[in-house]
Amino acid sequence: MNTETEYAIEVDGLTKRYGDLLAVNDISFTVKKGEVFAFLGPNGAGKTTTVEIIETIRTPTSGKVILLGMDVTKKKRDIVQRIGVLPQGFSSFDRITVRETIQYYSRLFSVHSDIDGLIELVNLRDKANEQYKNLAGGLQQRLGIAIALVNDPEVVFLDEPTTGLDPRARREVWEVLQGLKEKGKTVFLTTHYMEEAELLADRVAIISRGKIIAMGSPRELIADNANYQVLTLQSVDDQVFEIVRKTGFEPSLDDHKNIRVRVEQTDHVLQILNAIKAAGASYLGLDVRKPNLEEVFLKLTGEALQENPADRETK
Amino acid sequence: MNLRVISANLVVKLLSFYREKTTMFFTFAFPIILILVFGTIFMSQDNVEYRLCVQDLDQTKASAEAVENLEVNGKFKITRVDPAADAVQYVRDSRVNLVLVIPKGLEKSLQRRKLFNDYQATVTISYIYDPSSSSVATKMDILNAVLAGINQEMAGVPPFIKSSSKSILTRKYRFIEFFVPGIIAMSVMTLSLFGTVDSDTELQQKGVIRKLSTTPITRSDWILSNILYQFILALISTVTMLLVSYAVFDVSLHINAWLIAFILLDVFAFVGIGMLLTRYVKEAQSAAAATNAISYPMMFLSGSFFPIELMPGFLQKFARALPLFYVNEGLRAAMVFEDNMTALRYAAIIGVFATVVFILGILATKWEENS
Repeated sequence: MNTETEYAIEVDGLTKRYGDLLAVNDISFTVKKGEVFAFLGPNGAGKTTTVEIIETIRTPTSGKVILLGMDVTKKKRDIVQRIGVLPQGFSSFDRITVRETIQYYSRLFSVHSDIDGLIELVNLRDKANEQYKNLAGGLQQRLGIAIALVNDPEVVFLDEPTTGLDPRARREVWEVLQGLKEKGKTVFLTTHYMEEAELLADRVAIISRGKIIAMGSPRELIADNANYQVLTLQSVDDQVFEIVRKTGFEPSLDDHKNIRVRVEQTDHVLQILNAIKAAGASYLGLDVRKPNLEEVFLKLTGEALQENPADRETK
Repeated sequence: MNLRVISANLVVKLLSFYREKTTMFFTFAFPIILILVFGTIFMSQDNVEYRLCVQDLDQTKASAEAVENLEVNGKFKITRVDPAADAVQYVRDSRVNLVLVIPKGLEKSLQRRKLFNDYQATVTISYIYDPSSSSVATKMDILNAVLAGINQEMAGVPPFIKSSSKSILTRKYRFIEFFVPGIIAMSVMTLSLFGTVDSDTELQQKGVIRKLSTTPITRSDWILSNILYQFILALISTVTMLLVSYAVFDVSLHINAWLIAFILLDVFAFVGIGMLLTRYVKEAQSAAAATNAISYPMMFLSGSFFPIELMPGFLQKFARALPLFYVNEGLRAAMVFEDNMTALRYAAIIGVFATVVFILGILATKWEENS
């Protein structure tokens, strides 16, 4: 029975167990039609397991998942016709060109897709006759997105669409995803890049160790969980860290050896800067800004969201 | 079953194969190379001429006639060894495997036997040989037969037991005609087994199967397109092998419907085994090892290259347990002997086997990752 509701996805009490490992632990959430919903969490948090259950690739241990009004464990055939999927670590046939790959998938769906339109949408016109194995990582992902759209799906699932891409390739993929958003597609995005979620998502669910620990729009999450600002001091003297700590704050060092300090009031910034000046120490630059989802995640879970930087290297 | 989906899959598989030039070359070239090499080795099997070294210590007219006799009746190409040489040393130094030594006194003994009926007069011909050489035994058998013939003739009475032979075949088949059906069976097996395991494990490892499982393609569409693809490759490969065999060796093989039937059964049986392997072997490397472990015994023990009668008894029993044996023998029955009943019997056996493994293979093929 296909019941039309305002929700594209309804997940209720979903649990997935692999032997002793509880990968997804009794999670519930809904995704509205036309919404871009991001599942944000570190590697191994349960994002892919959840999304693959919704995509009908895996079966849940318990709980209920309704996609476009249909139970995912019972209506796989009907569901796959109406969804588009970019799986994690997408790959395709090495020796088949971009155009042939899109044609192949549109034949699988028995639809007459606008092949040129899709190639245009993902900005691969110059590479249309290039074989898959000759495409760079970002271009392969863009082809994956085009394939996910061949059947003009109502819900598009994108599992880690930019993992392994360099910053430029990532931005190019984001442009394509923003185009989907403008087209009004329901998009379910899983990512461990907070800037991706912040930029693209209408709502974000933060998942850690199989549990959803916070959910809302990026702005709501930040307002609710990070009511402070972040002062960053660049190219500091070695002694500055100690000076800040003695002033009564809790400094931390980021990847570039910059000092980051949480401050709740603007006066605190002045207090820290004055202490440094009084001690005769120096810094090259400073930045005061609102916190982002990274900090929200850190506050909620006590662990960093970003994975190993090596993972972000160009493919 | 969706024909549009099956044809889409088939096109992608054929295009990928066509664009993988190295794979394509070796797929078709390997069996042809085997046919050319083995065909050439065994082409003149019936006209073998052995080299024989003879040391004539008698140096008489009678001994010269004896050497000539060996040359004519034994099909030997004679090399004469200096009577002054040490025969043992000669075998060692010249790397020959046998020297026949005619002793001094041959003519005298012959005359005593013939003229004076002195039955005490005998001669001893010696073989100085290297037992490590494989052709020595054959040479000695031929020599013994020639010498027995000479003794019989000198006895002056007709032999009591004679032999005659009659082949059950109207025409004697040549080794190459035995060999080609075996190579067809073997290469269809290799194509189907390696083709299925390599491509499926690669696609599974790369995540292409996972992507496909979110599309309307069904497991049976996928399997059916793979069968069709393997069948097309098997047909192209068989036609190429037959063309080379006809052109180079002028083989006399019968092309009939059995050929198509056995190729199809061969494909089904080994795609089925391939699907079972793919289910249980996830890594490409272990898949290659498992495929080799299955294909090598089939290749060498099921009678593709030589008749299983040449193998010890227990290996012959083992060969009869191998599915490829029935494809080999069925194809030979159909293509060499035109023996429809034998072909039917073997087709039935491999047919049952193919049905069982293929059904098991379908059941073992998983799309959803429920683990």
